[in-house]
Parts: sequence; structure tokens; C-alpha cells
Amino acid sequence: MIKALRTSSLGDILGIGLVLFIAVFSLILLIAPSIIVVIISFDTRAFVSFPPEGFTLRWYAEVFEQTELVGAMWTSLKVGLMVTALCIVLGVPTALACVRGKFRGTTALSVFVLVPHMVPGIVLGVAVLFAGALVGVSPSIWLQAVSIAVFIMAVMVRTVQSRLVRLDPALEEAATNLGASSFQSLRTITFPLLLPAILAGAVFTFVEGFDNLSVAIFTHGFRDRPLPVELLALVQYTSTPLVAAVSGVQILLAILALVAVSMSIGLDKVNE
Amino acid sequence: MSDATAFQPPPNARLGEVILDKLVSGRGIWPAVPAIIVLIVVAVVPFIILLSLGFSDIEVARGAIVSQTLSFSHLSNALSDPLYWITFQRSLVLAINTTLLCLLFGYPVAYLFLIGGKWTRRLILILTIAPLLTSGIVRTYAWLVILGGRGVVNSTLMSLGLIDQPLRIMNTHWAVLIGMVQIHLPVMILPLIAVMSRHEGGLMEASANLGASRLGTLRTVILPLSAPGIGTGAALVFTLSYTTFVVPQLLGGGNYLNAATMIYEQVVFSLEWSKGSVSSLILMATCLIVLVIIAMLTNIFTRWTKGRDA
Repeated sequence: MIKALRTSSLGDILGIGLVLFIAVFSLILLIAPSIIVVIISFDTRAFVSFPPEGFTLRWYAEVFEQTELVGAMWTSLKVGLMVTALCIVLGVPTALACVRGKFRGTTALSVFVLVPHMVPGIVLGVAVLFAGALVGVSPSIWLQAVSIAVFIMAVMVRTVQSRLVRLDPALEEAATNLGASSFQSLRTITFPLLLPAILAGAVFTFVEGFDNLSVAIFTHGFRDRPLPVELLALVQYTSTPLVAAVSGVQILLAILALVAVSMSIGLDKVNE
Repeated sequence: MSDATAFQPPPNARLGEVILDKLVSGRGIWPAVPAIIVLIVVAVVPFIILLSLGFSDIEVARGAIVSQTLSFSHLSNALSDPLYWITFQRSLVLAINTTLLCLLFGYPVAYLFLIGGKWTRRLILILTIAPLLTSGIVRTYAWLVILGGRGVVNSTLMSLGLIDQPLRIMNTHWAVLIGMVQIHLPVMILPLIAVMSRHEGGLMEASANLGASRLGTLRTVILPLSAPGIGTGAALVFTLSYTTFVVPQLLGGGNYLNAATMIYEQVVFSLEWSKGSVSSLILMATCLIVLVIIAMLTNIFTRWTKGRDA
């Protein structure tokens, strides 16, 4: 908070007023579409229109009657979990090596891990599809999960890294000096201290795995289409509030994820 | 317990534990090796293959490559095809406009975060992070609902008697731009907030105590200090909006081709993989060039403001 600002001229007040006006407008802009979608999802009419005419839960019921949609949700759920698991197994040790490593090239390693995330998702997706075709690996739920994991791993590494940097290595040294093996000190000291960062990383990697389109659209299996691919088709070819209901479900999940993040590390730590 | 044994490794350690110990001791590169292998197999090698396919004539049958011969024709065809020029130019202009508008709308939010109290800050974080957790398709769909023929904008304008017939907003480049800006706004706001909250407190109060106005403080103290955040945010928004196909596909209608939708059609529908490779490579190269320009501009901006203070 800034206190005690003086000498407010008219131009000053107008300028700051304009800045704050745009800020409030932007905040409304951020949330308004989601609110409108949720309202639409309860409309009784079979076409999308605003304002709604009545209240019904019909579209929510219909979401769970559509076998393709439910199948796509399961696929995305599986991909999300696979991506998260891969990112934890591969990313957390990498973060350890980047921060605690005593070898030359720790910086190079950190940069190398970031590279796939800097390549546009669509380029990575196309590249993986072509490479797979060349060696005879066709698109599947596995290919999708592995390529999204590679794409998003940087987020896990960076989240864990930023927490690890602030941990005092003396804590582990103390454990080792008291007779613990490296593995024991990692398990009983470092890992519990890193857990909030790993959890936060897990939330973001899961969301990416569940919801990635740019990589998934090229790498998903033809029998198990993930939710974003299914949704894209649905939005293009249907005009009922069904998609709004799917959105309603996703928005609910997003709120749950937000609560999870704010309970594990706190919202304000998210973008460190 | 004697001191002599306390400093020894546990004598009854099993072999598995010893190996595990070596792996996780955190001093060597070993913990990172699995990740490095996966990155090489799933990112580095595929990219080299993408590069090689862009420079060869290939034959694709049943999702597999049958034959491959070296050829530069795809690149030269692409560079002489006006469709490519139009498409990439359109994508570039759209992405740059999106980035600038996101900055215009996002910066004030970050400023409000800086001067706001605890609850303002919490609200801003929730409103910024929540959209990131919902799907891009869902958020684009919302704009279909708002801008469509019977959507919010049209029904409001019609009930106010301002127009008789629904305006055609959907399937225009305005619809695409609006959708792009709203969807990528959070990605601009978060880095700005991160950079600004690093410098809060002392500096701004000092500026105020020295008699600077609020606007003056914003212009001469906060803006220069937030230059790195502007750079990061701009780079993120640019990359995402330059390479997305959801928004153009859904809000632009069938005729609105941008770089990403073109690649998608080449690769998935017409199975012209060499063309798809070349387009992907051009997409990546142009993206990198703009990112380097953004980095240079950020650098110049930072140095210029520093120089002016001195």
C-alpha cells in the first residue's frame, strides 16, 4: 500500500482515474464470459440465447448421458493423471539436480528443461506426430500423455526449484550428520518441505494434461479423444446449451483447483 | 551410542538403498538423467525429424511415412505462395495487436494490485487465475454466446432499440481479436504482478515523499521497474496468440485462416506433411524473431529509463 501521496493536480486525478477505470473494466472482462456461460447452462431453451427464459438442470443431465462426452472426460482425466505423475517423477529430481547439483552445467540443465515449453505447443505436437510415424508409433493416449508431460514439465521444475532455492541446505546436512542416508534425509526432511510446491505444480500439470489442445490434437489416439478435442467438435457442430453445461462442470473444477492451490501454497505464490 | 558410529553410513544398508542413495544424493547429474533422456526422445529428436521432413519429398500412407527424398521445393513453394504470406501476416498482426491490447488492459490491473489492500489483491488473483484453469474452448464458447446472432450484445442492443437486425460480429476479425485479448489477458497480468510486488513499499513511498504525484510515480518509478514484467508478459501473450487455433477456428468462421489453422489443415486433413513441416518451421522461426525483438525492446526500454534518471 502506498500512503501519503500528495500534490494531486486535476490531471493527476484524471490520469489515475482512467487507469483505475480500465483496471475495473478488465477485471469485469475477465469474469463476465464465465458468468454468462454458467447462466446459459441453466436455460430451458434448446438454442443459445441471452437472457435465459427459465431454469432447468436438463443440460447437466444430458452431459452425462452423452457416452462420447463422458468417454472424453475419462480420457482427459487419465491423461491429466499420467501427465502429473510423469512430471513429478521426472521433474522433481531434475529440480533437485539443478539446485543442489555440484556439477558443471547446472544452468545449462535448467535452460534445457525449459526449451520444450518455449516451443509452440502446436509445433511440438506436429513434430511428435511425425517422429512417431517415422518409427511406427501411432497416436495414442500414451503418446499424448508423454508429449504433454514434456511440454509442461518446465512448470513443475520451476515451481519446485523456486521453493528449493529458499530451503536451507543446512537442514539436510544436519540430518546427514546425525546419521541419515541421503535418501533418508531427502524423504524425511527435503520432501516434506517441498510438498507444497510439488502440489502446486501437480495442480497446474494436471490442468494442462486435462485441458491441452495444441499438443493433444496431433497426438491423441483416434479411439480415445480427449475432452478439448471432443469439445472443439461439439462447439462447431451443435448449438444447444450442452457445451455451456460442460463449461459449468469445468468452471466448478477450476474453483476446486483454486481452493486446492490456495490451501497448499497460497495464491500469491503461484507466479513465482 | 558412540560418536564413532553416528557419522558412519548405516551398516546394514541394503544394496537397493545404496544405489538409491547415490542417485538422490543431489550432487551429481543423476537425478536429472531420466528427464534428459525423455526430453531428447520426445522433443529434440522429433524436432530434428520435423526439420528433415520440411526439406524432403515424402509419401504418406496410412499415417506412416513410406518414402523420403531430399528437396527444397516445399520451402521455396511456401515463400512464393501468396497464401502463406497473407496467412502469416494476418497471424502476426493479430498476435501483435492482441499483445498490445493485453498490455493496455492488463497493466492497470497490475497497478491496482500494487496499490490495493489485502482483499483487492485476493480478488484480482482469483479473477486472474480462475480463467487459466478453465479450458480455452470454454472461454471461447462464452464469446460465441456473447457475440452471436442472438447473443448478449445483439439482444441488448435490440431491446434498447438501437438496432433492428442482429449485427454480424461473429466470423469477423473483430470477434477474433476480442476473444484473443480476453483469453490471454491473465497471462499478461500475472508476470506484471510478480515483477511489481518485488519492488513494492520503499521506493514508491520515497517518490511520494519527494513530492511526486500518483501519476508521476506511476510513470517515472513503477513503469520503468516493471519493464521485465512487460517483456515476459508480452512474450507469453505473443507466443500463445500467434500459435493458437481455437479462437480463430471458433470465432473467425471457416474462412479465417491463421498460421495454426493452416498447419492443422495441412497435417490432419490434406495429409501434406512436408507442407505442414515447412509451415511449422516458419511459424517457429517467425515466433523466435519476434521474441528476440521483444527482448531487445525490453532491454532498450530498461536502459533508456535508467539513463534518463541518471
